[in-house]
Amino acid sequence: MSMFGVTTDDLKKLVKVALSKGGNYADIYFEHSISNEINLRDSEANGAGTHIDYGVGIRVLDGESTGYAYTEITTMEEMLKAASTAAAIANSSKSFYAEPSVSVTDFPERYKSLIPWTGIGFSERVPALAELDETIFKSDKRVVKVLAKISDSNTKILFFNSEGTLAADERPMASIAVTCIMQNNGRTENGSSSRSFRMGYEMITKELIKEIAEEVVNKTSIQFEAGRPSGGEMPVVMGAGSSGILLHEAIGHAFEADFNRMGTSIFSDKLGKKICSEDISVVDDGTIYSNRGSITFDDEGIISQKTYMVKDGVLNSYLHDRISAEYYKTEPTGNGRRESFRFMPLPRMRTTYMESGKSKETDLIASVKKGIFVDNFSNGQVQIGAGDFTFFVKSGYLIENGRLTRPVKDINIIGNGPEALADIVGVADNSVIDNGTWTCGKEQYCAVSCGMPSVLVNKLTVGGV
Amino acid sequence: MTNNIKEIVNIALEMAKEAGCTASRAGAEISVQSSFTVRNNILDRLQSSTGSTLFLQLFTEGRYGYFSTNRTESDELSVFIKNATEATRLIAPDSDRVLTPRELLYSGDNIDLGQYDNSFYSISPQEKREAAFRCSEEIFEKDSRIISSNCEYGDSLELYYMADSEGFTGESAQTTFSVSAECSARDKGGARPEAWWYESSMYYSDLNISGCGDRAMQRALSRLGSKKLKSGKYNMVLENSVASRVVSPIISALNGASIHQNNSFLAGKLGERLFPENLHFMDRPHLYGYEGSRMFDSEGIATRSMNIIDGGIITNYYLNTYNARKLNMSPTIEGPSLLSISLNGTFPGESPKVGLDQILKETGKGIFITGFNGGNSNSSSGDFSFGVQGFYFENGAILHPIKEMIVTGNIVELWNSIKIAGDDPKRGSRWLIPTLMFESITFNGI
Repeated sequence: MSMFGVTTDDLKKLVKVALSKGGNYADIYFEHSISNEINLRDSEANGAGTHIDYGVGIRVLDGESTGYAYTEITTMEEMLKAASTAAAIANSSKSFYAEPSVSVTDFPERYKSLIPWTGIGFSERVPALAELDETIFKSDKRVVKVLAKISDSNTKILFFNSEGTLAADERPMASIAVTCIMQNNGRTENGSSSRSFRMGYEMITKELIKEIAEEVVNKTSIQFEAGRPSGGEMPVVMGAGSSGILLHEAIGHAFEADFNRMGTSIFSDKLGKKICSEDISVVDDGTIYSNRGSITFDDEGIISQKTYMVKDGVLNSYLHDRISAEYYKTEPTGNGRRESFRFMPLPRMRTTYMESGKSKETDLIASVKKGIFVDNFSNGQVQIGAGDFTFFVKSGYLIENGRLTRPVKDINIIGNGPEALADIVGVADNSVIDNGTWTCGKEQYCAVSCGMPSVLVNKLTVGGV
Repeated sequence: MTNNIKEIVNIALEMAKEAGCTASRAGAEISVQSSFTVRNNILDRLQSSTGSTLFLQLFTEGRYGYFSTNRTESDELSVFIKNATEATRLIAPDSDRVLTPRELLYSGDNIDLGQYDNSFYSISPQEKREAAFRCSEEIFEKDSRIISSNCEYGDSLELYYMADSEGFTGESAQTTFSVSAECSARDKGGARPEAWWYESSMYYSDLNISGCGDRAMQRALSRLGSKKLKSGKYNMVLENSVASRVVSPIISALNGASIHQNNSFLAGKLGERLFPENLHFMDRPHLYGYEGSRMFDSEGIATRSMNIIDGGIITNYYLNTYNARKLNMSPTIEGPSLLSISLNGTFPGESPKVGLDQILKETGKGIFITGFNGGNSNSSSGDFSFGVQGFYFENGAILHPIKEMIVTGNIVELWNSIKIAGDDPKRGSRWLIPTLMFESITFNGI
């Protein structure tokens, strides 16, 4: 608490003011964040930056309604103003505040920086970028440019609520990302690769650099051989790993309980119902050690957990924050997350993946007469109510008569969430988490990750010529 | 408040000098925001905030670093800038990291661009709340097919001041007031298509609250009963509210960083005619009363009227100081300010009105796009593939909404298919892109 200059009595006072207009719950979220980045271009690490963000957000709930205010100045005077502003969501002459007994909550460790980034100067990060640059240039004569970046952040959180929960967390995040540009016979192609973990500097190893260098060179060079397929409806085999974007877009957002309690999700009335093959179980997990999507507790003080969204084909649980949990008379699932103190928490995904099935990827591919195989994506989007989702495929392959043939690239794929889920006719035994720099943009940005075994979707619409 | 950020910026520049920087640039912004959200005619959210951030660009011994903080108490700021300067010394030198040449910088008075409403602080919370409810009442219980509505009033004030160690100073102030409405309707098969509308203005008295909710509701209802079309070639009409989606890939490709990194399909194309002879991409940054207008960019470079594409010829790249030096060219501007598109060389509003109805009628039949759903474009090749939502129309009349469809092509080829550009950009946007019509474009569906 010393970092934020407050005492337990100060926190109680703030909560009392926050509930002075009749709100039934209040929380206070202090944050101090330091982030750094260093960029390499033209084979030189010649740009770097540091950013500090500090403040406190105060939230008041009155049933399903929310009052929110934040301030960057953590004097009691300014925080009391913010508490008073947030309190106005309620409109009662009576306060229901009862002084809480404070309980300091310890949560299981989900991440730790073994070598904290705070002790690693910019100059110590340069060799890793230089090695990445050199490895890529040496790998392929067609490489003309490499853009690379190492970034890290360390966020300290202090949380207190009207129930007396007092908790603190220190959340590291580190990423390395690279884009490779190649030219060949007058054509230019690009590819990107990244890794991100809640780790310290120990994340940057020679093995990791070699791995992403090889990956980005492969991703870029395949583009020269790739074309665009004929478009239309066809079977799609989603490769293991980053195909988890299908889950994130096709069903993940529609399972976020705010959309469901408002009745705007296409899955609003499907809780407890069978929605896909019993071979399918989908998880949103905030407990994987060092994973980008993991949290010790969410941003409303709820312990992180592994939540089965779909269990054996049945819609098992939505992803809840406190508001939706109260609405559905269930327990929060630890999905109340926010970008920073500037934002109120919302139900957000963490690491969303499908568990392995029993099929073999080769069998899934072999079963397709004409379709495509995709395993390299850039972005996706969904319309929650209509259920239409899309994801952009950077590269993949045509499947012809059960075999991968010509590479394909730059195609959008569109489908409908419930229909696509029900259309998954094969799940392979190779589920894997993709550790790229996935970031979800629902109203505010949040670090997530995703994973998937290879699956065969019977029919999706593929953009083509 | 403005005096406060000026003081912080000037102190930061002085501290940077004391820390040993050979040059520096600092900017500070204060942002004041509030919003009231009404869901199904019940107050759902209220938010209020005041934030400030100090941005610093430090140049020392041929090296460059960029920093930001919202901790601006003198003692803490001094330590931050000393550490930042030391950190900058640790990275590789780059002789192209310099302040912008003086002659390119804005040096006039702080000209009024009609972007600041003095009444900002006099609008009461009660008025704001009522604005959100007025919007909501246009939807609530008006049609049994509507299952949810979300209406919001929001406002913001942005104050910005920038200075550099060579004596440049510039400032700006902008207010924004908006109402928005989102609506979901129940369709057959459990689908709940949603739609939105918004109105925005820099002056509270100009904010068009009336009709916003109803328009969102009508747009949601119009999406009921959507059908998927067969794959094939269709004429494509883009609504003015979303037409910027096909402009962005061109603007990104004209950016100096993309050009320098050989990551642009327009690299090496300066002076070439790649587009139709009547196509113009125009920037008019000094027009009074537009959100995108500005007198200088983030380096202080004075903005000016210029055509980016003139008669189909690429006439300018977007070059900041660094990228210009890397390319042995002169800086232009970092990016567009008040951008628009024309097929006759006149800026929207200068010619007779050509709007959506007329364009649909002239087009006859095709797909009218009112929204995009994901997708992307390849920065090296210009190949794109976007999910779309909208309507199929014949004889200028809308027949039914479409679903699960994709438009695919190459952005240069797309712009060579343009046949009609309206004169109807939606006000309240930073870019003024009108309704556009492209002929015979590839769509994927069934």
